[in-house]
Amino acid sequence: MKIIRDNKLCYGCKTCQLACSYHHTRSFWPEKSSILVLRSPLTGKIKWSINQTCDECLNEIEPLCVKYCTYQALKIAK
Amino acid sequence: MNKNIHIQGCLAGKILWVDLSKKRIWTEPSQEYNNLTLGGRGTNSLIMLRNIKIGTKWSDPENLLCFGVGSLVGTMAPGACRVDVSTINIFNRGKGSANVGGSWGAELKYAGYDNLIIVGKSKKPVYLYISDSLVELRDAQYLWGKDVFTTEFILRKTLGKEDIEIAAIGPAGENLVRGSAIIVDTAKAAAGSGVGCVMGDKKLKAIVVRGRGKIEIADPGRFMTIVEKTYQKCKQNPATRLMRQAPLNLYADSEWEGWYTNMVTRNGQDDYWESTKRQRLMNSQNGVPSMIKGVRACYLCPTGCLPFLEIERGKYQGDKGEGFWINTIMGHACRLDISEPEAVVESWILTNQLGLDGDYTASVISWAFELYEKGIISQKDTEGLVLNWGNSDSFLALIKKIAYREGIGDILADGISLAAKRLGKNTEYYSSQIKGQPSIEPFRIPKGWALAVSTSPVAGRHLRGATMGSIRYGPKPRPGNFNSTDYVGQAQGVVWQAKTKELEDNLGICSYVSTWSGANFLEVSDLLELINSGMGVNLCEEDLMEFYAVKGRNLEKVFNLLHTNLSRKDDLPPQRFMREKVKKGPYKGVKMDKNRYNKILEEFYTLWGWDTQTGLPTKTGLISSGLAEVVEPLIQRGKLIEK
Ligand code: SF4
Ligand code: SF4
Ligand code: SF4
Repeated sequence: MKIIRDNKLCYGCKTCQLACSYHHTRSFWPEKSSILVLRSPLTGKIKWSINQTCDECLNEIEPLCVKYCTYQALKIAK
Repeated sequence: MNKNIHIQGCLAGKILWVDLSKKRIWTEPSQEYNNLTLGGRGTNSLIMLRNIKIGTKWSDPENLLCFGVGSLVGTMAPGACRVDVSTINIFNRGKGSANVGGSWGAELKYAGYDNLIIVGKSKKPVYLYISDSLVELRDAQYLWGKDVFTTEFILRKTLGKEDIEIAAIGPAGENLVRGSAIIVDTAKAAAGSGVGCVMGDKKLKAIVVRGRGKIEIADPGRFMTIVEKTYQKCKQNPATRLMRQAPLNLYADSEWEGWYTNMVTRNGQDDYWESTKRQRLMNSQNGVPSMIKGVRACYLCPTGCLPFLEIERGKYQGDKGEGFWINTIMGHACRLDISEPEAVVESWILTNQLGLDGDYTASVISWAFELYEKGIISQKDTEGLVLNWGNSDSFLALIKKIAYREGIGDILADGISLAAKRLGKNTEYYSSQIKGQPSIEPFRIPKGWALAVSTSPVAGRHLRGATMGSIRYGPKPRPGNFNSTDYVGQAQGVVWQAKTKELEDNLGICSYVSTWSGANFLEVSDLLELINSGMGVNLCEEDLMEFYAVKGRNLEKVFNLLHTNLSRKDDLPPQRFMREKVKKGPYKGVKMDKNRYNKILEEFYTLWGWDTQTGLPTKTGLISSGLAEVVEPLIQRGKLIEK
């Protein structure tokens, strides 16, 4: 399983980043997220990355990052 | 009587104080304040009330510039990103407040602070650098004079960091232009009450924040259940799609022909804009929508209403920036009769770049255009600029002149009251001001809207009770009448909406995600569940609406009563809109009827528990909203009804 993102659909809201931190810590702690979202206010560009700490949301019913992306920019690639 | 609560989650825990005169930095626990107010704006208001002496002017070092991050910001509550900025209102010495989204507030909470309070004044330009517990004042001489975009660019480059959040002022704030804003993330403005001017007066160029800490919640499982429910509502609601481009939809779609497409035109001469002009501005082939390169959202926002625009042709080609609002259309298009899409977008980018409040800018400039039309000022006064309606070159030139205080811009930078004294000839009549602050709001057609704007404790802005959105998406039944063109039932609607706004500003939830837009991803019952599970308290809806919301409003009302002479007469719409009727279009003949307005004003006072005639609070009312501490000072100034 792999999480992929469609740049065209992404609004840069960082909800995926925070949801992931909740999965790891049961608190809201962006530092501990597997996802990092950076936005350049000057160009409007969004940089999104995922690191190796992603455990594919072990023990969750579905990956929280995908679940809470209301813009439907994230998908699971099997 | 105060509610006896003890908040156990959602807070960062500290209030950060920075004294710019003494270069002293300290913290205090935030919990006690938040127990009393629920956070955000409420806490800012309480800090101001307790710490600012009567008689203090906005430019005194003792004035505070307070940043209050909402108590749910930093959590996964949808749309929780907002920050209240409070200070003495430049236009009337009363309570000033502005509100802004973006990611800056959440970053401040992750750094450990719920509120940041700036006191004193620096002698030289400085910026504040906050990285968790490292808090430093740094030299900003090299940034002084730079616009907001350049400031953001240089700070990011010199600090070598991409993960910081910046709030900055531009040349307008530095030059003490009354209508200056604090700009977050280059495009989101804390605008109104002159907050950017106060920051400039304190010689604080920017606040850079980076936070690495966490926010804990009292009952994570229960909290996430309500979070999930509200995200689902947002995903499934057809309104979401419309919300994501609200201003564009409202104006492009003729099906929604209503009072909100008949905004104030030509500085208040009419409330009708020809549909050909609207089409020119908003058509999808070459109007504003054609310039949208993407849409963005503030932190944790499921709505996402921020278009990112780039101008691809004409003389402004290559300029780009974020944001296009109803206010952009109301202020920068209709009010000046400008329908060139590129010029309107350019003017909006420019106000952000220079750190101006867009509403102020549009209000004072359209006023100057009308004085020019009436022959009260001429090219001699404008350094040769021709101020005829629709002249976008002159509009853009005046925006720059105001920010840099050049020529007539120097007069317009001081607000309308002072400028009107200098220009004489009954010029103030043509202005739209509430409690001294220039406004761009409609006062003839939508009665409830006008009531909310005219009574706003922070003067002349619509987000303190105006009830537009709920008409459109058909929400759950609301108290009062949400058809804003009637008088009947308006006061109930406005008070209900204003109460929800009190809560939203304390919690830091964007009103667009909550009750205001009418999409209602978050109803009051949802806010309640987020509070109870997140903070570990046990409140009910009545506590929120009848205690905390009323207290929030009273805090600002009391500040105004103690610090100013504002009274009932200052809760009226500008005279012009009660005399001159709409001249053309579907609302031809409509004006605000003074007697009927006064009736809804009295209903409004009564609903807040204030004296029907004077609008003054009562002793019992204040005590039951937990404000016994202000009873004595109000009695001393003869501003309390003793019942
Ligand atoms: S939640 Fe979705 S839209 Fe928001 S930043 Fe993540 S991928 Fe982008
Ligand atoms: S799948 Fe789970 S662990 Fe992996 S990035 Fe998404 S939320 Fe984080
Ligand atoms: S609705 Fe718009 S302004 Fe409000 S938080 Fe979302 S993106 Fe920001």
